Amino acid sequence: MSAADLWAVVPLLILSCGSLLILLQGAVVPGRYGTAIGVVATLVATLWACQPPVAPTAPVLGIATTPFARFFTAVLALTATAVLLLSHHYNRHREITGEEYPATVLFATFGMAIVASAVNLLTLFLGLEALTFAFYILVAIDRNRPASGEAGLKYLLLGAISAAFVGFGIALIYTGTGTLGIAQAMQGSLTAGNGNPIALAGWGFLLTGLAFKISLVPAHLWTPDVYEGGPAPVIAFLSTASKVATIALLLLLLPAARGALFLHLPLWWLALLSMTVGNLAALLQKNIKRMLAYSAIGQMGYVTLALLSGNGGGYEAAAFYAVAYTGMNLLAFGSVASLSRGGEVNIAEDYRGFGFTRPFAGGILALAMLALAGIPPTAGFVGKFLIFAAALRSGEVSLAIVGILSAAVSIYFYLQVAVNLYLQPVETPSDHNPASLPETATLGLAAVIVVFLGVFPAPFLDLIAGILP
Amino acid sequence: MEQIIFYILAAIIVIATLFAITERHTVHAIVYLVTSFFALAVIFYLLGAPLVAVFEVIIYAGAIMVLFLFVIMMLDLGHPEKVSSPGWRDWWPATLLGGVLLAATVLLLTVPHAGPAGGGAIGVRDFARALFRQYGIAVEVISMQLLFALVGALYLGRRR
Repeated sequence: MSAADLWAVVPLLILSCGSLLILLQGAVVPGRYGTAIGVVATLVATLWACQPPVAPTAPVLGIATTPFARFFTAVLALTATAVLLLSHHYNRHREITGEEYPATVLFATFGMAIVASAVNLLTLFLGLEALTFAFYILVAIDRNRPASGEAGLKYLLLGAISAAFVGFGIALIYTGTGTLGIAQAMQGSLTAGNGNPIALAGWGFLLTGLAFKISLVPAHLWTPDVYEGGPAPVIAFLSTASKVATIALLLLLLPAARGALFLHLPLWWLALLSMTVGNLAALLQKNIKRMLAYSAIGQMGYVTLALLSGNGGGYEAAAFYAVAYTGMNLLAFGSVASLSRGGEVNIAEDYRGFGFTRPFAGGILALAMLALAGIPPTAGFVGKFLIFAAALRSGEVSLAIVGILSAAVSIYFYLQVAVNLYLQPVETPSDHNPASLPETATLGLAAVIVVFLGVFPAPFLDLIAGILP
Repeated sequence: MEQIIFYILAAIIVIATLFAITERHTVHAIVYLVTSFFALAVIFYLLGAPLVAVFEVIIYAGAIMVLFLFVIMMLDLGHPEKVSSPGWRDWWPATLLGGVLLAATVLLLTVPHAGPAGGGAIGVRDFARALFRQYGIAVEVISMQLLFALVGALYLGRRR
């Protein structure tokens, strides 16, 4: 490893050393600077990832600093910054103390950055497991609520099974193609095509495991329970960054296997089932976190549709939607975290009147709902438009129609929340705890980004078109 | 001959692992798991990776199994004192699998054979080079993961 290599992996070093530093300083001055160090580390990692590398890294490293890797590292690190800022006051209120929380958030970001910059399947798998591992801890971090521990256990058990699936799938692809390098292995499984059942079986296992990670139907059953039980800022992180990392993983694998016919059928069914089941089940939910969980399943169905229609520009649409979805879900769960501080207000009817009593957080939640429903001028509209356009261009007409219909259905349950926010409250709310400054700043910035991407997406789309392999 | 031994060992692994899953008595399950690990170690040896085979025995069949047993004893899950000393019926599956395993190992060590298909055995030097040069980052990622396993266990295990 040369100095140039070290220079290139500095974002990863900042994230990992930052998490270690938080743990170490916690031994000296407990509970003081954890979040501050975490915010600084993620911001510096973001900025570092934005600058072009001096020289290409050595191929033996297992890590590349391609524009793709740097883009996703920046997005993920920035998401971690937002989550740390959002959770600071939430955690203080819920007595979630200790350095473990910011340190684990940084470790999760480290795993995600590894996934985005991996060049071989081994590093890819380890990064994916590192980030999932961090979430086992994060989901269960609220020891005062048994529901949090229960959610953590559910996530751990199903996550272990999905890890076995992904690991076994990668092992089979390795057996079938004889290489761990992503590009070569994908090409190998492609040319082997129908003649190589081992690589095909590997792809089957891999897709099953990844379907769990981004909660596609029929591997979605953990999602509502975990989203309901986990602390809201953690779920904001889980529902955005971990999915972005997995989408990045798929964007690394699928374009390299472009034109693989055997992938079409499973992805087609995953997209169809996720879009319909997710959006229809969300209609029935009374709890806002469960509703958002099912909506996440539906949204990931759209992303799968985009991944399926790579020939018509679907990969760009998927990358755009991943970023837009991160902004929208940060808004949604961030405002849920902010609004639920005085106790667990989970039922959608409890949100009645928040638009008047808590205008900022209520307004943010309403904006998030409009964006998730795909109403202009928000990023959600542009993202859905790109996805359905790509699907139509690559001939997925029936899926596109199902997607548009399910998106129309989804408007009902999203707007239900937004309408409830601006109905008169049933009783006067007792608690008056305004949103903290970091929370307000983070939510405000994310809202600006969501609207900006919806109004003026062209420069961002050019950027994405440039980074995709 | 290698192929025949491989299939015998693979069958042992599958059977022993199935027993390990279905066995109700935790200590018995661990004995089956050890059997499966030993068979896996011999397969690694067959593949021309004696170092990995030794690691498999030392780390998995040795250290990790002791850790499992230790946890079971500590949490008092196995209730070894309530079970009467194992009879012939309890012994024979593990004994049979272990016997086949031992026979395969002895056969491999005594009968000279052609070696693995892909050339000679992989020595310590090649192994270390591949591990720390080619997959150095992977080792670092795993060490971070282990550290956070510890951090998470400490945090979640701490009394309220």
